[in-house]
Amino acid sequence: MPSDIFTQLVDAHYTPLFRFALSLTKNASDAGDLTQQTFFIWAKQGHALREEGKAKSWLFTTLYREFLRGRRRAGRMTALEDLGPVESDPPAPAVDVVTSMDADLVVDALQEVDEAYRAPLTLFYMQEMSYKEIAELLEVPIGTVMSRLSRGKQQLRAALAHRESGAPGKVIPLNTQTTRKLS
Amino acid sequence: MNNVEAKFILQGYRPNGSDAADAMFGPALEQARHDPALHDWFAREQAFDAAISAKFSQIQAPAGLREAILAGGRVTAAEAPRRNWWQYPVMLAAAASIAVIFALTMALWPRQAAANAPLLNFALVDALHSETHGGHGKEAGALQTLLAEPTTRLGGSLPLDFAALQKAGCRAVGFEGHEVLEVCFKRNGVWFHCYIAQREDFPALAAAATPTLVDRNGISLASWADAAHLFVVVSKKGHSELEKLL
Repeated sequence: MPSDIFTQLVDAHYTPLFRFALSLTKNASDAGDLTQQTFFIWAKQGHALREEGKAKSWLFTTLYREFLRGRRRAGRMTALEDLGPVESDPPAPAVDVVTSMDADLVVDALQEVDEAYRAPLTLFYMQEMSYKEIAELLEVPIGTVMSRLSRGKQQLRAALAHRESGAPGKVIPLNTQTTRKLS
Repeated sequence: MNNVEAKFILQGYRPNGSDAADAMFGPALEQARHDPALHDWFAREQAFDAAISAKFSQIQAPAGLREAILAGGRVTAAEAPRRNWWQYPVMLAAAASIAVIFALTMALWPRQAAANAPLLNFALVDALHSETHGGHGKEAGALQTLLAEPTTRLGGSLPLDFAALQKAGCRAVGFEGHEVLEVCFKRNGVWFHCYIAQREDFPALAAAATPTLVDRNGISLASWADAAHLFVVVSKKGHSELEKLL
């Protein structure tokens, strides 16, 4: 594999891949490892891809699969059936409040979103992929992506509202009384 | 479309406008233009999403990560299975020798086998490269298991998705400008190599629907085709071992 191609690929994608990994792992060290592992897999086999234009999609998909593989090994799975129903338009901090927030605080809030929603939400906010590409990457129907985006945004709003009120904590399903009190 | 449906769709619209040409958003965007309440909601949603995206773009990878990836990538690539065997003089010489032997013997082979002789030749050379090649992706694992299963009879169609195997990182070897997938499998203690090519990639090649076996110096090849694929299975353990698979 020509090293200049690998360098170009790393330069173009390692930061967005790290951001995605960070949202999944909730830990900068694990995110760095996951990002490295993804590129090492590329170094082993990814260069066999005939279309270089698909490299980005391949890298994100590989990173996500590696994350899932590691999580399966750790025995941590999220049962989507256990998650609460969607509640429309939960309270959210004003845009200027979000703008004034520290980026780390916003990332912390994002990491409180349930895992099933966090991956599509992160990819959406990175703005590098359309909902169709996100669906392909996560191997779920488009409708599922839209639904998870909707739920994820609601949880993110709630988490940001907690941050704004100075009461950080785990997001509680929005359909419970407790959440309404906290909001 | 009511406003609830329109909101459900529009919340997937990226704030940087990348989805402007996506037809799925068209009707919902049009509705937002004419409905003041929906218009206001969409404006707030986009502003919120843009603010979050802006925050997200401020996250930087840790110092040293890029350098670690580049250094590790170089080491990994150096250790990776050699796909481009023809780039190595020794392998090239071996391949050339085998090609000459095959060129001399092809005329004696059955006519049916000669139709796909280039693919057979290629498969033989590649199979000689190693006992096992590695580099099979997860998707190939299922096919590998099926091939290794003693009750699986080869010589007909195989349940495979060529594109999915490619995508999953199944070992692929370049042949006449196209990729041929290769899966190593072991049955009854004997290693075999199964090569799979797409017929559309090689319109000039032909193979019968029923398997044809050819032997050369103890190396045997079985080839056949279905509607979409050409298959070649190579055994270094002779005709009889290969025949047991069919």
